[in-house]
Amino acid sequence: MSSPFAINGGACVAMVGKDCVAIACDLRLGLQSLTVSNNFPKIFSYGDVYLGLTGLATDVSTVSDLFRYKVNMYRLREERQISPQTMANLVSTSLYEKRFGPYFVSPVIAGINHKTGKPFICGFDSIGCIDFAKDFIVSGTASDQLFGTCEGLWEPDLEPEDLFETISQALLNAVDRDALSGWGAHVYIIEKDKVTKRLLKGRQD
Amino acid sequence: MSRRYDSRTTIFSPEGRLYQVEYALEAISHAGTAIGILSTDGIVLAAERKVTSKLLEQDTSAEKLYILNDNMICAVAGMTADANILINYARQAAQRYLLTYNEDIPCEQLVRRLCDLKQGYTQHGGLRPFGVSFIYAGYDPQRQFQLYQSNPSGNYGGWKATSVGANNASAQSLLKQDYKEECDLKEACGLAVKVLSKTMDSTKLTSEKIEFATVGKTKDGKVYHHLWGADEITTLLQEHGLAKAEEEDTG
Amino acid sequence: MWECPNYTSQLHPQLRTKMEVLLGFTGKDYTIVAASKAAMRGATILKAADDKTKQLNKHTLMAFSGEAGDTVQFAEYIQANIQLYSMRNDTDLGPSAVASFVRGELARSLRSRKPYTVNLLLGGMDPITNEPHLYWLDYLASLAPLPYAAHGYAQYYCLSILDKHHHPDIDFEQGLKILKMCTDELKRRLPIDFKGMLVKVIDKDGIREIDYDMSKEVLPA
Repeated sequence: MSSPFAINGGACVAMVGKDCVAIACDLRLGLQSLTVSNNFPKIFSYGDVYLGLTGLATDVSTVSDLFRYKVNMYRLREERQISPQTMANLVSTSLYEKRFGPYFVSPVIAGINHKTGKPFICGFDSIGCIDFAKDFIVSGTASDQLFGTCEGLWEPDLEPEDLFETISQALLNAVDRDALSGWGAHVYIIEKDKVTKRLLKGRQD
Repeated sequence: MSRRYDSRTTIFSPEGRLYQVEYALEAISHAGTAIGILSTDGIVLAAERKVTSKLLEQDTSAEKLYILNDNMICAVAGMTADANILINYARQAAQRYLLTYNEDIPCEQLVRRLCDLKQGYTQHGGLRPFGVSFIYAGYDPQRQFQLYQSNPSGNYGGWKATSVGANNASAQSLLKQDYKEECDLKEACGLAVKVLSKTMDSTKLTSEKIEFATVGKTKDGKVYHHLWGADEITTLLQEHGLAKAEEEDTG
Repeated sequence: MWECPNYTSQLHPQLRTKMEVLLGFTGKDYTIVAASKAAMRGATILKAADDKTKQLNKHTLMAFSGEAGDTVQFAEYIQANIQLYSMRNDTDLGPSAVASFVRGELARSLRSRKPYTVNLLLGGMDPITNEPHLYWLDYLASLAPLPYAAHGYAQYYCLSILDKHHHPDIDFEQGLKILKMCTDELKRRLPIDFKGMLVKVIDKDGIREIDYDMSKEVLPA
């Protein structure tokens, strides 16, 4: 039996392109080596901001629901959408509140700041330490593999279509080398005024 | 005489009345009018803005219409400060329901939650009741489009068309006269501006003086709520010949 | 980077009850939920006609397995709360709302001093859309909506059969045939006699138990 982060399996990756960002996740939900569901998305949208959550499935659900509550309240109070930077701080503080009994998740944020038009991605550890990145963020049981594929495939200033190809190949090839993730993928390409969501079939084994 | 019974909300007068609640209702009857009309494909809420001044910052969008939840909006008549407390409470209740059940709170349940809170202040505490009446417009899959009204006593009811605030009696009778069952949202909007134009002091309306909102369904069946912008309101007023002429600038 | 301490002992207490069978799948206009009838305690069978299901409201059924005591305690708690909701609001919660509620309660329990070790299947019909639903929940409160699901060792035997034969729009007769294939395989592979299956069907008319004969001998592998 292993760490709570590796019971259910799953992978998530975010990347920066030229005036765009991308975020992608696999769809597997498992119990150790047994696959229970092949339709368990790990990316959640909160207005303009996208949050990817890997780790313990129960906490993926709990944390995504919790942020839906918090972001909805923010939006009603402020009468505007939350920015990716604000969301990053919200995630950080919310996770640290559970410092001595953490949610077993590794969140990833991707979005475009609507005021500045600048792409933004970042990742966290399970107690809320933010990892800002200019290139890409990986998380989940396939994170080692994702580091490899991203280092190999990513380059600066990719256009949306090229970024889609890059992130998809990075994710699919990483999860094929991980027994605990895979079974299809969701990919979001986020531009200033347009979001494209694509479903990748992937290997079903 | 009434002095002995009206200082505390919790005490009935010898005639069996709760004076503080009635005073609250009185306060509301001086507030700007708000009306709500139910139609077959949506609901319209319209409200009169009382404070209009050149010096007032206009960018703070709505003063009398609020979003409660993805499936619900409301119009306020009465003390805005009191309303803010209740609206925040309602939003939290709606979000808490969404957190527990992963679906939007049914309209009547949210109205009831608010009214239970309002009722509390008519019974215990020695505090004053909330000086607000609401008109709620919402949608849920079980009972489709719904229109509710509530007052400071904590009573509520479902309506086809209703009004609160100043001149609500005349607004109500106008609605009774002109309301047609099976009307659509567009006709309901027309009726709303017509009623407002008759109950408000000024004969010609402007987009600064009224607020407008609709709840409806998009073509793909998704529920939307929409607080109208100034230009949309102006267009509607012009359509019904109620707009103030361009050259008469507001003083 | 924060390193995870070893939670192995706390988070994954070995369920002694993997021999208990919970099985369910959805069809065109129904959901079938089945549970083994044996109540076990160690190597002993205490009861041969145990009902591991509870009706929550008109259209929702919950099947449960796990640590003795926890199971019934948790199921009754959920049942009471769902019934309270129906009384207060004059409407029943739909299956997806019930599933979210149950997940929330189980997730809350998971972080408490003594969590419930209960695995669940929730079967239901949505009273508004008339669609069949099935939800899989484990004791960690992982929730997954699925076309077919199982708990315990039954997962290893039945899921592969269902992978091959299940379609979302199978009619009731086809459903029973697939169920038979599953229960035959369980009889063949499980090392104990689980005393047959209690089978319940949820459709637009509500929940009903069906006679399910498992007395016929199954040929060994």
